[in-house]
Amino acid sequence: MAAHRGVVSKRGPQPTASYPHAHLQGGMVWVTAQAGRDPGSGELVAGGMEGQLNQAIDNLAAILEECGSSLDRVVKTQIMYTDAADEDVIDDVYGRRFPSPPPVRTAWGVKFLAAEPGTEVVRVQIDCLAEVR
Amino acid sequence: MSTDRTVTTKDAPEPRGPYVHAREHGGLVYVTAQIGRDPKTGDFVKGGFEAEFNQAIDNLEAILKASGSSLDKVVKAQIEFVDEGDLDSMNRIYGERFHQPLPARTSFGVAFLWKGARVQIDCIASLD
Repeated sequence: MAAHRGVVSKRGPQPTASYPHAHLQGGMVWVTAQAGRDPGSGELVAGGMEGQLNQAIDNLAAILEECGSSLDRVVKTQIMYTDAADEDVIDDVYGRRFPSPPPVRTAWGVKFLAAEPGTEVVRVQIDCLAEVR
Repeated sequence: MSTDRTVTTKDAPEPRGPYVHAREHGGLVYVTAQIGRDPKTGDFVKGGFEAEFNQAIDNLEAILKASGSSLDKVVKAQIEFVDEGDLDSMNRIYGERFHQPLPARTSFGVAFLWKGARVQIDCIASLD
């Protein structure tokens, strides 16, 4: 086996382009940015920012577990979001989901994330770098 | 549970959300993106982009010091800023504050930043 490899998990929304869910190398796992998509249907979940961010973190957690890691081993996250009015909800949801002490974080506002049929838009995505057990 | 050391210092603005200032892992220290907030008051410094960016780098430097690293051990920096008109100021200030061997760098314009910041900078640095 190669010293580094991509991982696609059945427990995350299936990739729709040329990327795996994660890439393992040297005791670390880099996880592809996750949006609030249901792993079964691939559809964006309801519930606005709160629903989407909870689902995105669920997806990260499932992918991390598949890679022998977990949310409490995350070193760094990056969050991209589309509406400045969502910042307090982000902190609230994120603060409940990540164990203490939390990871380091970089977040920024973007113009758009992904195209989506219907009226709901992808409001947030989150990636991470974590230690593997 | 992870054995990483996390770092939070009084010399940088107190975290106002669920994050630590820095986290050490595998000989590197990862630093949370810093904005131009005064470590004492927690408020944005006055003076526009240049003041904010210098303060953000001051905050980064304080966190690196508390972690046992320094600006001259930064491997990679990442800068996000809101206004394209600040690009030249960003490059000039960055050039004044970072020295050889310069880190790898990614910088880009964003739609907006947390709580209305004009600029932010994060980094990964060596502990050696």
